Amino acid sequence: MVEIKDKKKEKRETPRPVIAVGDGAAIPTKEDVGLFTAWRVSFVGAIATVACLVIFSPDPYWRILKFLPDGILVTFQVTVAAIILALIIGLFTGLGRISKNKIINGIASLYVEIVRGIPLLVQLFYIYFALGRIVNVPAMASAIIAMAVCYGAYMGEIFRAGIESVSSGQMEAARSLGMSSSQAMRHVILPQAIKTILPPIGNEFVALLKDSSLVSILAVSDLLRRGREFAAESFNYFETYTLVALVYLIITLFLSKLISIMEDRVGANRQ
Amino acid sequence: MPTDNNSVMVEMREVYKYFGQLKALDNVSLDIHDGEKLVLIGPSGSGKSTLLRSINQLEQIDHGRIVVDGIDISDPDTNINKVREEIGMVFQSFNVFPHKTVLDNVNLAQIVVRKRSKKEASKISRELLNKVGIIEKVNEYPDKLSGGQQQRVAIARALAMKPKIMLFDEPTSALDPEMIGEVLDVMIKLAKEGITMIVVTHEMGFAREVADRVIFMDYGAIIEEGTPEHFFKNPTQERTKLFLNQIL
Repeated sequence: MVEIKDKKKEKRETPRPVIAVGDGAAIPTKEDVGLFTAWRVSFVGAIATVACLVIFSPDPYWRILKFLPDGILVTFQVTVAAIILALIIGLFTGLGRISKNKIINGIASLYVEIVRGIPLLVQLFYIYFALGRIVNVPAMASAIIAMAVCYGAYMGEIFRAGIESVSSGQMEAARSLGMSSSQAMRHVILPQAIKTILPPIGNEFVALLKDSSLVSILAVSDLLRRGREFAAESFNYFETYTLVALVYLIITLFLSKLISIMEDRVGANRQ
Repeated sequence: MPTDNNSVMVEMREVYKYFGQLKALDNVSLDIHDGEKLVLIGPSGSGKSTLLRSINQLEQIDHGRIVVDGIDISDPDTNINKVREEIGMVFQSFNVFPHKTVLDNVNLAQIVVRKRSKKEASKISRELLNKVGIIEKVNEYPDKLSGGQQQRVAIARALAMKPKIMLFDEPTSALDPEMIGEVLDVMIKLAKEGITMIVVTHEMGFAREVADRVIFMDYGAIIEEGTPEHFFKNPTQERTKLFLNQIL
């Protein structure tokens, strides 16, 4: 009896699992007062700097700023499309990584290992030119595919950890009611895993947005490439990249904040 | 042992199960009859939970045969999901679905597995939640419920499938003492309805009141079996006596 009571205590005191992903922007939380202030300082500072530059030195800053929005749009398009695709790839990779089927498990693990071992920029080149050989894919599409293939592997690990964070008793309860393993996954395990998965996915989203600047190497006119085009024409390299950096900073800081608000909401609704 | 095969609900023959070197089930043969209330007792690690879990194949046995309601579940061609629909299970740690309301907990498998409409499922769920005395919590989430209440939801959830057999794996062991009664009351009520029940428990009062037969297990083997009277008045095996002395 004593043993059983101890077990129960342990269960109660086990903290909710948290997946720590080291990569990407630090998402501020309310508890993290220092970071919260740092967020404010950098966000307000970045906007104020852009405003000052544009107001006090409209040539070239105002011209640069007018030139960039098309690129921002492309950056968002690449990021959003790649993250959606990466989520789908990640879900199946995560499921594959926990599969008892040796072949499926092997393929998923191999994919993760290979992708994690090759730099994103190399993957981008490789997929771009490999796809170019077989089919004629627009640069934008191959950039999105390459980003998704890379981030899918990381997403897969997040999904796997999230699924494994749900107690095995939940799966047993679902299976004992006659559910197939895919029914149990869909109705019982994944809805619970999502709460653990969401914060690191938010992180990955911000990280992917930053990494999307790599696609400027291909013929995709994202924010960085628009900057490069402007600089090459006007020779205002320093001014252009200052503004490009500030715009990236404002976007990522804004997104980080948005994600932390979303997480709070999910946390509050957590049942 | 009656030989009438129609009345046998669970038939286990020469069942072995290993966890690494450990023999969790050691040559277990057992017939459980339709409507029988069987109580499994024994020290922890004696294999009683493993025996219970092998009946709905939450544990896969390594050797032997288990036939449930005429279906050989040790046959790899058997669709175990179909068999599990007929076997309700209640766990020590409740395992209610924390992301679903009480009603949805009971509804889920009815809708997904039994393919009942939501309306039909809810009707059955409400009847059962009423029966286990928790109807007023129907729209609550499990984290707002006490352990005893969660366990009663879990019982209702299993019953909603209209199973032929109910397995209880130490259903009161994780409960605070004041909540054990409310769960046992539900189980006693259920026992009177004629469903086949197999219960792993340390609640000897329950065994005495409800059991048709008590089985004592140790080291993965059945050491002694008999009626509750036999067990509590004159057990024959030394190990049984020792165990009963410790817990009574």
